[in-house]
Amino acid sequence: MTTDTEHSLGEAVAQRIERRWATLSIVIVGLLVGMAAYIGIHQATMPQGRVETADPRTLHISGEFIESNLGSAVEADGSVTVRAIGQQYSFTPQCVVVPAETPITFRATSADVVHGFLIEGTNINTMLVPGYVSELPVRFKASGEHVMPCQEFCGIGHQGMWGKVKVVDKAAFLNMAAAKRRLTCVD
Amino acid sequence: MLTNKRLILAHFWLAFIVFAVALVLGAWQMFVRSPLNAWHINPELYYRSVTAHGSAMGYVFPTLIAMGFGYAITEASLEKPLVGRSWAWAGFLLVAAGAVVAMVPVSLGLASVLYTFYPPMIGNPFYYIGVVMVVVGSWIWVALMSINFVAWKRENPGKPVPLAMFANVAGSLLWGWTAVGAALEILFQILPVALGLRSSIDAGLARVFFSWTLHAIVYFWLMPTYIAYYTIFPRAIGGRLYSDAMARISFILFVVVAMPIGVHHLFADPQVGAGFKFMHSVFTGLVALPTLLTVFTICASAEIASRLRGGRGAFGWIKALPWSNPIMLATALSLVMLGFGGAGGLINMSYQLDTTVHNTQWITGHFHLIFGGAIVIMYFAIAYDLWPHLTGRALESFGLMRTQLWLWFIGMIVTTFPWHYVGVLGMPRRMAFYDYANPAISPEAFSVAMSAVGGLILLISGALFLLVLVRGQLGARGEADAYRFAVPLHMPVRIPAALNSFGLWLALMVGLTVVNYGFPIAQLIALNETSVPAVYVGVGR
Amino acid sequence: MTDQSLFSLRNPWFSAGVGITGAIVVLSAVAGLIWLPLMQPDLKLVGIWDAICSAAGVPRAAGPGASIKPDFKTSNVEMTSEMLTQADQVSIGRGATLAQRCAICHGPQGVSDANSPNLAGQFAAVTYKELNDFKAGARVNVVMSPFAAAMTDQDMKDVAAYYAYLPRVPSKSLDTALPAPAIVATGAPMRNIPPCGSCHGDIDNKAGSPWLGGQSEVYIKAQLQAFASGGRRNDISQQMRNIARQMTSDEIDQAARYYAAQP
Repeated sequence: MTTDTEHSLGEAVAQRIERRWATLSIVIVGLLVGMAAYIGIHQATMPQGRVETADPRTLHISGEFIESNLGSAVEADGSVTVRAIGQQYSFTPQCVVVPAETPITFRATSADVVHGFLIEGTNINTMLVPGYVSELPVRFKASGEHVMPCQEFCGIGHQGMWGKVKVVDKAAFLNMAAAKRRLTCVD
Repeated sequence: MLTNKRLILAHFWLAFIVFAVALVLGAWQMFVRSPLNAWHINPELYYRSVTAHGSAMGYVFPTLIAMGFGYAITEASLEKPLVGRSWAWAGFLLVAAGAVVAMVPVSLGLASVLYTFYPPMIGNPFYYIGVVMVVVGSWIWVALMSINFVAWKRENPGKPVPLAMFANVAGSLLWGWTAVGAALEILFQILPVALGLRSSIDAGLARVFFSWTLHAIVYFWLMPTYIAYYTIFPRAIGGRLYSDAMARISFILFVVVAMPIGVHHLFADPQVGAGFKFMHSVFTGLVALPTLLTVFTICASAEIASRLRGGRGAFGWIKALPWSNPIMLATALSLVMLGFGGAGGLINMSYQLDTTVHNTQWITGHFHLIFGGAIVIMYFAIAYDLWPHLTGRALESFGLMRTQLWLWFIGMIVTTFPWHYVGVLGMPRRMAFYDYANPAISPEAFSVAMSAVGGLILLISGALFLLVLVRGQLGARGEADAYRFAVPLHMPVRIPAALNSFGLWLALMVGLTVVNYGFPIAQLIALNETSVPAVYVGVGR
Repeated sequence: MTDQSLFSLRNPWFSAGVGITGAIVVLSAVAGLIWLPLMQPDLKLVGIWDAICSAAGVPRAAGPGASIKPDFKTSNVEMTSEMLTQADQVSIGRGATLAQRCAICHGPQGVSDANSPNLAGQFAAVTYKELNDFKAGARVNVVMSPFAAAMTDQDMKDVAAYYAYLPRVPSKSLDTALPAPAIVATGAPMRNIPPCGSCHGDIDNKAGSPWLGGQSEVYIKAQLQAFASGGRRNDISQQMRNIARQMTSDEIDQAARYYAAQP
């Protein structure tokens, strides 16, 4: 039988241990959140900074997502902008060509339902929601080929929606860009 | 004191029947998409099956468990019959009818939009109507839980509400509010389009509404499991609950911070501003807090039980735990899966790490490990624990129970670990088949085959589980004692009103939701040009 | 302690609960809405209000930029899932009259053996879109282009409604026993070829995709080859070219033969 004092003593000990554990938990959580903020700043990997809209009905008629404007474009500052759309059940361009070691901005949207794309072997991964433009800064370290599947269920043909990304040497890319203003690796 | 045994049994049986059907579908899906199958199937069948599996496992099964267990807790912990018995039956029938109404169009292939809806794809209206019926049926339960809670407090002024009931009401309130997001999405966005009253829909706004439900629904699924951790487990292994107050704080934390964090599912979406994504990610970090507190309290409670049984040493006490007890086993396996799943969850919560795994098989692996693993294994434990009290017949197949639990654990690990792995390799989720002959994905083939084997193990475990219950239902009659919950080490005599009521916490829950969701929702509603044409599915020929 | 005093600053649970929650909200809002965006030079923000607005997600229309214009005509039809799905008797009647001049090639009942498309039972949106594209010059055919050039928008809708109203007639090469070749049933996922039926109506229908059953084998094959070579470019944003150019000539033959044999 425990006496009252022993009981309250036990309770005090229990509470102290409990409080320590709670403090530790809070510290862990704080650390995780702090880490996210820190990486966000120093690795420049933050979610898209602005919300932009685009009408999926008229993507092919006017604006930056018309067929002839899709693909990779060299900007004045030497960076590359890749414009693409997702639709049931392909990306256009079906094969994206980009230079290695170059800052690249993906600008993409959907022409019908929700799609997404990820580029296997990289950390590139985003959603395409009809009505909105997704923008993503990326950089490829080395040349090579990657597959680019749609990663969000977009209808019965979803499993067939696989695009490609070809990363080429920077000089080779600039050579290609001299001949053509919007590059793809289709065909 | 369980008086409405038929009501509670009806909930559990329907839940487990739905579970069994969905489990078969799940195992079939695992098989057809694996390299073990020559992938010549109609992909529509696969998506139809995923829709049925997800809707049944996500909306119907856990809701019925929470409801049935909630009624049991009300009667057993408050030691009085349930107030509103006929309403409870009405709620049950509504859920059952809703499940049928939703599943008919799904099985006909008229609503293969997956359980996450994915507007602007629009399926048959009856699918959505069925889901709404399930939710409304469960809202009756939500109301009944609060009514019983308030009635008991009025009859017992100043007394602390038993922990089990307090937690149960917390779970019901959490669900009541979190279901509002999807309900708004269906009622005001999807149904008008499905019924042909409107032909366009803002998919971005719909995704924001759904995220409101999507994350906290997991905590709703989790509630019965946590209640079992706190109030069944310590009693079942002959110990005491370490701390009553800590338990209450954990449940309160769930109520307050489980909701305003759903936008972390939209990290990669273009329609929500980065600032709100950051705010949600901070609160997502906070929701790890109650789980950390729970792990501590449960482990401490286990240690108490062990030391009472003569366990000694810094770690030696673990050996002295009653491992042959199915509840002990289930809880331990559940905590292991929760640990792995939680670690994965910490990765998903950070935008930077999430980009590696977003919408890959990793995510499928993650929530199957948490829900299918850590949570569902405790649903089994709850059923095993309650069954003798509900049927009045002893449940004696302990060996079978242990085998079943082990198989579930092994099956879940074998299924989800390879999924996590191929997710890191970049394998997208929810595809009907993959061309494993292609060098780009052939490295994933072995792991996928392995997870299909896991699916088979889970199927066997599920069958064993039903066998145990049926045997229990047919067993020898015996008088079960009154159903009891674990007693805390230090029984609270008086507790602060804040730990005995929900007014303050509900206010914080709603307030935080308004702060974290109000602006993103309001501005998307105000934005007209992002309403996009609906894409009707299941309308071939 | 009663519930009355719960909402009072003197209650430590209230002041701590509300205080801590409020502090976290304020801190995370300041960090997420002001500090983090301002730390990102790429965003080119002009001042604190711009930071807050952009981080809060206040939308703006996509910038026009300098788009490269196409050197060929593209389709200007805005396809939607519900386009022309409501049949209208008056429209069908007018269409029947207008369709008399189509009968030479497309048959009096919308079915012919002339290797021109069978139009009976075709989705109205499809016929309408193709007529539109002929008129706009996005699709070119020596016979069709002049016909379409003379048609009004309403004419096209009426003709489309009429043909959609006519019952599909099984072609002479009907052979339902012919098994679906792999390219039709499952496509080739890694070559970005989904099953044909996921758009063309056998499983599901994507707006603007024609019903293929019973079409002439020669016609289907010619169109697939034209899409593959880029000779035909009126498919919106390359949706069909993306598929056709990935198909082998064998697969094109198989698909054409299969659909010609379907009802």
